[in-house]
Amino acid sequence: MSSIVSLRDVHVHFGASRAVDGVSVDVKPGEVLALVGESGSGKTTLIRAVQGLQPVTAGEIIYTSAAGATAGPGRGNRGVQMIFQDPTGALNPRQTIYEIVAEGLRIRKESQNEVERVGRALSRAGLRPPERFFPMYPHQISGGQRQRVVIAGAMVMEPDLLLADEPVASLDASIRGEILALMLELVGDTGLSILVVTHDLGLAWNIADRVAVMYLGRIVELGPTEQILGEPRHPYTRALLSVVPETTRMEQQILVGEIPDSRRVPVACRFHPRCPLLQSGMLPAEVASRCTTEDPGPVDRNAGSAAACWAVT
Amino acid sequence: MNRPVLSVKDLAITYHSASGPVPAVRGVTFDLAAGDSLGLAGESGCGKSTLANALLRLLPDGTITSGQVMIDGRDLFALSPGGLRAVRWTTGAIVFQGALHALNPVQTAGKQVREPMLIHQTVGSEDEARVRSRQLFERVGLPANQLDAYPHQLSGGQRQRVLIAMALACDPRLLIADEPTTALDLMVQAQVLALIAELRRESSLSLIFITHDLSVLTYVADRLAIMYAGKIVESGPSLSVFENATHPYTRALAAAFPTIGDQTSRLAPSGLAGDPPTPGALPAGCPFHPRCPLAEDRCQTAEPVLRKAGQAHRAACVLV
Repeated sequence: MSSIVSLRDVHVHFGASRAVDGVSVDVKPGEVLALVGESGSGKTTLIRAVQGLQPVTAGEIIYTSAAGATAGPGRGNRGVQMIFQDPTGALNPRQTIYEIVAEGLRIRKESQNEVERVGRALSRAGLRPPERFFPMYPHQISGGQRQRVVIAGAMVMEPDLLLADEPVASLDASIRGEILALMLELVGDTGLSILVVTHDLGLAWNIADRVAVMYLGRIVELGPTEQILGEPRHPYTRALLSVVPETTRMEQQILVGEIPDSRRVPVACRFHPRCPLLQSGMLPAEVASRCTTEDPGPVDRNAGSAAACWAVT
Repeated sequence: MNRPVLSVKDLAITYHSASGPVPAVRGVTFDLAAGDSLGLAGESGCGKSTLANALLRLLPDGTITSGQVMIDGRDLFALSPGGLRAVRWTTGAIVFQGALHALNPVQTAGKQVREPMLIHQTVGSEDEARVRSRQLFERVGLPANQLDAYPHQLSGGQRQRVLIAMALACDPRLLIADEPTTALDLMVQAQVLALIAELRRESSLSLIFITHDLSVLTYVADRLAIMYAGKIVESGPSLSVFENATHPYTRALAAAFPTIGDQTSRLAPSGLAGDPPTPGALPAGCPFHPRCPLAEDRCQTAEPVLRKAGQAHRAACVLV
């Protein structure tokens, strides 16, 4: 199956720290893939590597445009655009909305039809009529509108792939839904793919086609959203889902401690020191001994769904 | 019913700003009984943090307050500076959101937990303070060797536990927690929420928990109060407010955080058009009417008051 970007055994190490430690996954055309994990899982480092902001230590990131031709690495590739968490920090307070959105075009010296393209990007991001916003400054608009300007600044380049790092984490609850709806609308209207990094499982339920769960530099479970969030198989995914605050819940499995330091990744299965399944003593002895002696390895990027766990068959 | 730990009547708080007075809280009334918990929810600018700070008189100089706050039977606004110091920490203590900024970076965690006990003389000696701080660390789930750690050596979750230990140092009757889990990961949030629930089971600690995430509140709070534009617009038992929200704003807030597995929200994020109002420039009539999907003509002229919407459940909307 074709992909917009294909990650093959990607590693990003900082000295002894293995922030990303063997990730393989494809982003398919027109899909929203959510990369879910806690702080220290390596999800932000990974998305920066896809953007080309972070050199990879080993492995490959292969970009293909929607037409199937090979495009350049992320940084020089206008087909890959990124939006960040905090829209206020991402916007230059001394620039007008027009200048902010036009900046990408100017850097690439694509000055033809600039006004029309800036206007189209703003409309697409829900800021209509766009001319009204052209002369305004970031402080004159609301937080939700600022995130729309950030999205317009990315969309003006007509990307194939939008990278989003916690796009709604700093927004108010009522605005969150509006921005997520906009992201879905962009996928529907332009055939864009989105790789979104989040710790928010509700966001994945709201917009993602597939979910990849990261733990300590690896994807430990991958599959369609309904399956991963409905019938999770990896004990880490199950524990995460059990603590989503909701009124109707499964029995909570609160893991002790936090994600270990990526300089000291546990041997064998990296989750085994915190694994509630292993600690329950319910696993057959031969499985339990594998958990502490053998690495289940990364999940197969070509599998429909996969979990990196010896107890999952 | 026990005497309330906290009784707030018609509390209004107006900040002073260069562009004129800013009414942040516009008349809030509620009681909190010993051992009870109240969840306060709303978006930025709704006045929930101002309200929390006002309950311990932690507001900037020049702020105008009216109404009454009785804390453990004492009139908060009539207290002398000395009386106020005694109320803070020993009667009511607050846990803030940014655990890194709330701690002193050049003092060990243990010293910061001991300090309020020594200042308020709830312990007789430095040695007694050490014993008590060790007990507090155990109670909040921190290993004793972290008493000697500096804040930067601790993780976000551990720092939040230190703040909770500090707040409990003088054995307060009321704990005010202002977005204590917002900056934390899901698993760490669950750990902190479980800790707060356990502390409440062990003692008759009363709790005010503030957040913008309604789903968290249904877990920690017996009662909920939803704030919009400086007022409580809906209040009642947690589950009743969350599941049978009456005010259109509460409904939108509840729908913003989807229930995983609920097909109505699958690939259908739910939001609310428009932005929260600026406290200095509130719309006339019901302040929610410009964003309300059900607004009628009459909503533009008169601001609705809280009315009965069920068993112990009230909402401020003309449709109730």
